[in-house]
This record gives sequence, structure tokens and C-alpha cells, in this order.
Amino acid sequence: MNILIAIGGKEYSKPTLDLGMKIANAFEATTTIAYVGKRISQFSEKDVSVVHQNLDSRELYRPGVRTLEWAYDFLESKKYIKKDKSIAFNDHLLIDEENSRMRVLLKGSHSNKIDLILRTGEIIDQLRSEVATSNHDITIIGGGGNKGMHHKLVQFIDSSVMVVKNYSVNKQYKILLPVNNSTGSNKAIQIAEKFAKSKKLPVEIITVLENKSSDEKLRIILEKTEQRFTNAGIKNTATILEGNPVKTVVKYAKDDSLVMLGVSPKNPFLKYFFGSKPISIAQQCNCPVLIAK
Amino acid sequence: MLSFLDLLNKFGPMNESYKIISSSMLYWFSQKKWFVFSVLLAIFLLSLSTPVGLTLAGYHSLIILLMVFTLVTFEPIPFPAIALLTLVLQVLLGVAPPDVVAESFMNDAVLFVMGSLMFAIAIVHQGLDIRLAKIIIKIFGKSKKLFLAGLMTISAILSSFLGEHTIIAIMLPIGLSVIKNIDTKQTDGRNAVLLTLFSVGYGTIIGSIGTPSGGARNVIMINYLQEFSNINIDYWEWMKHAYPILIMQLVVAYFVLQFAFPTTLKNIQIKRYKKKISKSTTRDNINHLFSSIIILLIVISWFLFNEELGLGIIALCGALIFMICGMVSWEVINKNTNWGVILLFAATISLGFQINETGASSWLVTKFNALLALMPESSFNISWSFMAILTGLTANFFTSSATISLLGPMAIELQPSDISFALSAAIASGFSFLTVISSPTAMIIYSTGLVSTKTFFKVGVLMFTSSIAILYLMSKFYWVTL
Repeated sequence: MNILIAIGGKEYSKPTLDLGMKIANAFEATTTIAYVGKRISQFSEKDVSVVHQNLDSRELYRPGVRTLEWAYDFLESKKYIKKDKSIAFNDHLLIDEENSRMRVLLKGSHSNKIDLILRTGEIIDQLRSEVATSNHDITIIGGGGNKGMHHKLVQFIDSSVMVVKNYSVNKQYKILLPVNNSTGSNKAIQIAEKFAKSKKLPVEIITVLENKSSDEKLRIILEKTEQRFTNAGIKNTATILEGNPVKTVVKYAKDDSLVMLGVSPKNPFLKYFFGSKPISIAQQCNCPVLIAK
Repeated sequence: MLSFLDLLNKFGPMNESYKIISSSMLYWFSQKKWFVFSVLLAIFLLSLSTPVGLTLAGYHSLIILLMVFTLVTFEPIPFPAIALLTLVLQVLLGVAPPDVVAESFMNDAVLFVMGSLMFAIAIVHQGLDIRLAKIIIKIFGKSKKLFLAGLMTISAILSSFLGEHTIIAIMLPIGLSVIKNIDTKQTDGRNAVLLTLFSVGYGTIIGSIGTPSGGARNVIMINYLQEFSNINIDYWEWMKHAYPILIMQLVVAYFVLQFAFPTTLKNIQIKRYKKKISKSTTRDNINHLFSSIIILLIVISWFLFNEELGLGIIALCGALIFMICGMVSWEVINKNTNWGVILLFAATISLGFQINETGASSWLVTKFNALLALMPESSFNISWSFMAILTGLTANFFTSSATISLLGPMAIELQPSDISFALSAAIASGFSFLTVISSPTAMIIYSTGLVSTKTFFKVGVLMFTSSIAILYLMSKFYWVTL
């Protein structure tokens, strides 16, 4: 499994990194930490590139490198990766791999499955390209951006997307798993099961009935999911709720919830212009939300 | 009854290929919406009847101009694509025949853009920043304030001859070296960092107005003046007009920056930097000596032979000598030259020529003059202010050289026999103090991650307004004495 963690400024990226690495460890996944630098106008992109090369040769690292160094130190301090004295960030090599993508290579042997990537450009475009390049299964990003950005991420990135909002490193979390009859929901159930098992987290399984013909199907899915988690030895509760799915899930989710739900099977054109239930939930919940694809 | 939304949802659950195709289409649309907008706008304008007094070819050239403005501002497609589109549309819409378009595509201004970009890469590749830092510390190193003033002055002088993209690449490492490890969480430290970066940045931006080789826009305007008004401005003539403005702007910039970023400068590390750069190898010394000789030769040639050889050919000679001497490889130049920008300038200059040839610029100026006739104020003051502020502001959102290549013909048309309008337009377009997209220098300073767009704009407003005021006073009272 491949996980992509997108980071920005140092102050806001700690929770994203922490939760991202917990998920990566749970799945024993290869992790890419990507810093996406500011978009440079086409007029100046070569000039900026020349200046950055010049700065690198004078050991005046470009801004993203310093952020990646901080991220690497943070992961070491939190013991997400093994400390290796032979690895020094000051000895890094910047490998220009393709347009606007650079890999930071640290000298010395290290067995951690961590890639450090520096990208420049428009964030959705760069993350989409990164996911396409390395086939990431989950993209994890901080919740600081605008709501439109989260919508575009879910719509255009070809991986599950987690928006990390209001996450505290020290808080005890439980997974909130709204289920339905979509393919995305099955994927969300798989991710939640593995993560809950690895981190020993309790799971609240819910389904929201809307007074439709599919209500009976949802009851069955809820029961089956409850059975699945019980069989896996995961502490869980199963609840049937009624009403508008978005409002009900948002109201039910608390600050200590990690919401995991499936992507909407809706027509992409409708999703683009009118949004979808999972996108609205991710925008309105004040806690981390994973939308599985 | 089924609503439209329900009907659309009836298509679901959709098969995978439909999802992929529709998602790709939506993504293309979300990324290219400004391209779609500009095409729709052009189609709408083409469907209207030609305005009275304007030829069909002139009308079409203005529609292409509008498209280019939208596409360059929002960058939905790559610059080379915009350049090719400009050329193709000129022929398809009957603005000019293919041979005429091809002819206007290449001239000395385009050669200058190409030569100066390649020459810049060759110079930056020589590592002259260390040598320059030593000189600046030696002359201005007595106090930190003096050092920053020196950094700004040297940046301005060098940028006036070698262009801002060359000098910012050389001077920025010096600036960043002395502010390395400063704690920017404290106001004093943050202001010291900003003062240093802005000193380098403003010095470089201000310098670019000083001589024709300071920026491509200057050469483009000189070319337009020669073509449209038969007026020749040589290197020295330009300097006589522009250099006093440069000096006044430097003084204003010094005080504006002191006011905007008050700091004790205690964290600036000149001594440590001096120690770090004290050692140099014989190989470096020889390399620096040869580089300096080549640069000096090129600058002298610009002074002495610009009329016979053209500024572009001389700039190309600079890159050529560096390559022949083996001081820079073609691979390095090829990798770092922005070919897209060269193509775009060539295409916009070609469009600029057609806007003039088809009479579109005269039509615009006639309309503008009709508006001026309604004003009680002297028409010179109003049309000068309008033109200078318009080119200055447009350049801040559209970049300076492209602005001049498209608006230059109109600035000349306003007062064809008076060079003060053309010069003012070219110089005002160099006042890229407001936005970070306005010039390579601004973008490079911004790309360090230490300067926000808000800070850039706040300080820039002061510099922009005072620069326009200086330009007005100089054109009104000093240029008439020349």
C-alpha cells in the first residue's frame, strides 16, 4: 500500500503528519511526504529554477527542503522511523526527476520506507500528478485549505482522500463509520477494520435511513458490518439513524471521531456542480474525515 | 415525475470507463476554464459587427489581443501554446498574410530576449556572487545599514546593464547568506530579513529601467519607436533619460524600506559570511577574471555598437563567447533558458506590429482622444497620467515586457513625435512593485517563502506611487532640457 502525506507550513502540518504516519504504520505502507511549494508563473519559472540551483550550491536550501527536514526530524522524534546517525539531512541530494518534482535523497543506508518529495505548482494538479506517478492508495492532507479545495481533491485525485481537521496528537479517537450500499463504503469498511485492529480503536458503525426503498438493504449492511468487526475482535457499536444523511452524520460526529466513509457513486458531472454527501460531510465535520475510493 | 437531477443519476451506477472519461473532461475544464472563456468571448466578439472607423483586420487584431491578455494573465495553457495560437489566429482571421506574420515574428528585440536569457545563465553559472560579496563587504562593510544600502545600489547598477533576472540570481544568495538562521518569529528578526530581501529585490527592479539592456521591454520600445515613428534612441540617450530616475528611486526606496521594516539589524551576520567566503581557489579567480572581461566587453559593445549590430546580436555574442570558451555548456543553457517566454514575446511583438499596421492602435487612440476632449484639464497631463498608470498597473498583473509589446504601439500613437510618452510607458512598466507575478525578481523573492504577497503589495503601493510621481516630474521638467 502507498500513502501520500501532503504537508505545508511547519505549524499546521504536525497533526497531518502524525495521523498520516499512524495510518501508514497500520497498513505497513510505503509513505511519501510531499511538500508542494508556491506556484510560479510561467514567465519566471526558469529564473526561479536557476536561482534555486544557485542557492542549493551555496547550502541555502529552498524553503520546501527545510520543511521536509523538519518533517523528517518530527518523524524521528515520534519514533515513526528509526533514528540512524549515519543519515544527516545536511548531506541530502536533490534529484530533479521530472517537471516540478524533486526527490530528496538522504545519504547513508536507511530501511525506512519514506520518500521525501518536493513539488512546485498548483496543489490539486501536483497531488493528482503525484498520485498518478506513484499509485498512492490514500492521500492525506491538512484541513486548513478552503472548502473548494477539499471538493476538488475528492473529485479529481485518484485515491482515497483524508482531510485532517482539528486533530490532536494526544486525544483518544474512535472511528465513526457510516455505511451504505456503495462500492466506496466497502472500501471504507476495509480501511476502518485494518486501522482499528492495528491501533486498537473502537468503531461506531452507523447507517442513516432516508425513508427510501433501499432502507432494508442498509439495515442488512449494518448488521453484516457489525458482525465483521465483532468477528475481527474490534470493539464496536451499531446504530440506525434517520434523517438527512449529511446533517445526521455531521451532528453525530464528535471532536474525537475519525470519520471514514465511502465516496459517492454519483455522476461526476453532478458531483462537480452540486457536490456530494461525503464531500459535504468532509467540509462540515470538525474532525478528520477519510473518503474511501 | 423525475427531476433533471434524478434523470442524470439514473445513469448510475456508472461503468468505470464512463467515470474516467467524465472525470478527465471535468478536470480538463476546471484547469482550462479561462481558455474556454477566452474562446467563447472571441466567438461572441467575432459575431458582432465591426466598430465604425475600424478595419476588419484591425478589429480581429484587437480580439486576439484580448484573448492573449486573458490567456497570459491566467495561464490556462502553456506559453508556447499561447504564442502559436497568436500566430495561427493572425493568419486565420485575416489580420495579415502568413509571410508578413512570419517576418514580424523575428526582430532584434526577440534576439535580445533570447540572447539576454542565455547570457544571464552563462553569467550566473560562473559563481560570481562570492566575488561580488567580497567587493560589497570591502566597500560597504563598515556598518550593517551601509552594507544593505550598498547591496541595493550595486544590485541596481548591475541590473541596469545585465538585466534583473541575471542580477537577482547573483545577489539573492548574498542576501540570504547574511540572514541565514535569523529567528523570523520576532519582529526585529523578521524585519531584518525583509529589509535585506527587499533591498536586493528593489535594487534589482529599479535598476532594470536604467539602460536598454536592463529589460526586454526597453528594447521592444526602442524597436517600436524606430519602426513606427522613425526615431532612433541609442544606449546613451536612454541612459540620459532614465538614469536620474533610477537614482531618485533608489533614494526613495531606501527610506521607504527603513520606514516599512524598522529593525536594529543586530542579527545580520556579515562577519561570519565574510569569513566563510574568504577562501577562493586559483581556478575560481581565473574564471571570475575571464567572466568579468567578457561581461565588460559586452556592456562596452552595447554602448558603442548598438546601432550597427543591434542589442540582440551583442547579447547573443555574450552567450556565444561563454560557450566557445567552454565556461558554460549548451546543456546548461538549453535546460535553463525559458524558450516558452522567447516564443511568447516573439508572438506578442508580431501582434503589436499588426495592431499598428491594421490601424487598430490609431482607432483606439482616436477614441481615447475624443474622451480627453471632454476633460477640462490639459490633455497632456491627463493622457500622460492615464498612459503611465495604465502601463504600470497592467505590467504588475501581466508582466512588463508583454505589456509593452502589446500596449507600446498605442503609447507611441498618443504622441508620435514626442518620445516622452513612449519612454514613460516603457519605464512605468518596469515599476513592478505591486504583485509577485509582475517580474522575475518579485517572483524569486516570493519563492524564498519569506515574503508574503500582502507584504509585497503594502510596501509596493508606496514605491509605485512615488515612482510614478518621480517619472512625471522628470518627464515634465528634466526631459525637456535634454
